[in-house]
Amino acid sequence: MTQPAQSARKRRRFPPWLRKRVPGGGEAASVRALLAELNLETVCSSAHCPNLAECFARGTATFMILGAACTRSCRFCAVPTGPPGPPRADEPEAVAEAAARLGLRHVVVTSVTRDDLPDGGAGHFVRTIAALRRRLPEARVEVLVPDFQGRADAIQAVCDAGPDVFNHNVETVPRLYPSVRPEADYRRSLAVLAAARRAADEVSRGGSPYPPRRRKIKSGLMVGLGETHKEVRAVLRDLRDAGTRIVTIGQYLAPSKQHVPVARFVEPTEFEAWEAEARRLGFAAVAAGPFVRSSYRAEEVFAESVAWAARPARRVSRPAGPSVATRGASGDTPRGT
Amino acid sequence: MAVEDVKLPDLGEDAGDAATVAFWYVEPGETVEEGDDLVQMLTDKATFDVPSPLAGKVKELLAEEDQEVEVGQVLCRIDSEG
Repeated sequence: MTQPAQSARKRRRFPPWLRKRVPGGGEAASVRALLAELNLETVCSSAHCPNLAECFARGTATFMILGAACTRSCRFCAVPTGPPGPPRADEPEAVAEAAARLGLRHVVVTSVTRDDLPDGGAGHFVRTIAALRRRLPEARVEVLVPDFQGRADAIQAVCDAGPDVFNHNVETVPRLYPSVRPEADYRRSLAVLAAARRAADEVSRGGSPYPPRRRKIKSGLMVGLGETHKEVRAVLRDLRDAGTRIVTIGQYLAPSKQHVPVARFVEPTEFEAWEAEARRLGFAAVAAGPFVRSSYRAEEVFAESVAWAARPARRVSRPAGPSVATRGASGDTPRGT
Repeated sequence: MAVEDVKLPDLGEDAGDAATVAFWYVEPGETVEEGDDLVQMLTDKATFDVPSPLAGKVKELLAEEDQEVEVGQVLCRIDSEG
């Protein structure tokens, strides 16, 4: 092998399970062209998501509204920090246009955090959901929202617009917030989820084709930042208690050397254990894996939650007597790992 | 001869960041099928195996291991007529 023509920065090597095959072509080129034509951002691109090639090839993308720069600087995120400009008045229609031309059945919309806007950008989310409803009345709409600084009116406005999935990520365990998500607050994020759950349980005033009781509350977190198993378990319990029914767990990957370093590469078997644990805790749908992200394959994750909700009630009919008494006191299911 | 350029696809990195060649699975003169792994690339977030978009014979490699490559840059050339 000859000497390299130019010396390149040394990149860290990844464990073998953090490997992806780049799909050949597919619809990626047309997705990119469409986004460029309509001047739309995606979190896929802005956050350097490793799934980008895969999702674009399948003709899906997660739109990111309210600009390309964020008013916060979370230490895990590649999205650049502000100052963002005023929201584009035509952005809601552009998102709806793109979703229609992509033929999406499940549209995911997220945003940067806009602490500079009086409503935190909630109105823009409302207009985007409304534009999607007008243009694609049959499609499901999932929003991945910031915390709106916990403002009840902002959260209510988004819920009233009738999204099918309300997603807000807690991102990590409370102890790591100062170093990972310093401008956010764990309890506040739980309160956002609880507020959305309460709104979903009330009579709908929005335009969702689904009854409000079926609006799903979703959250996500990353592992590999230095959290312990006990801490993750506690977060899952907190999420469930706040009314969350869909959870995603993925491997934290540092976007650059300036971001929080990866503390640990979590093995696939451990993700499987988290998935099992989350199901035991009663979540309707769980996606856990190294490359899982909160919006990754959102349509399939949503379908799983609908199937879980529609499952037939268990009817336990077994005779009392010796066959029951022979079971161990702790039951016949193994203890969770 | 029908030589085609195989370019680095978009792996999700910033335009300025690109990707690094980790190692080549093939060398010049080797015959590949469509879908065979050509090269392994490294970004800040993952390792990617880039498959061949066509069947043919590898003519030349245009990036060396540890070299940074930008999206759209030619990685290698493959002759579809062998």
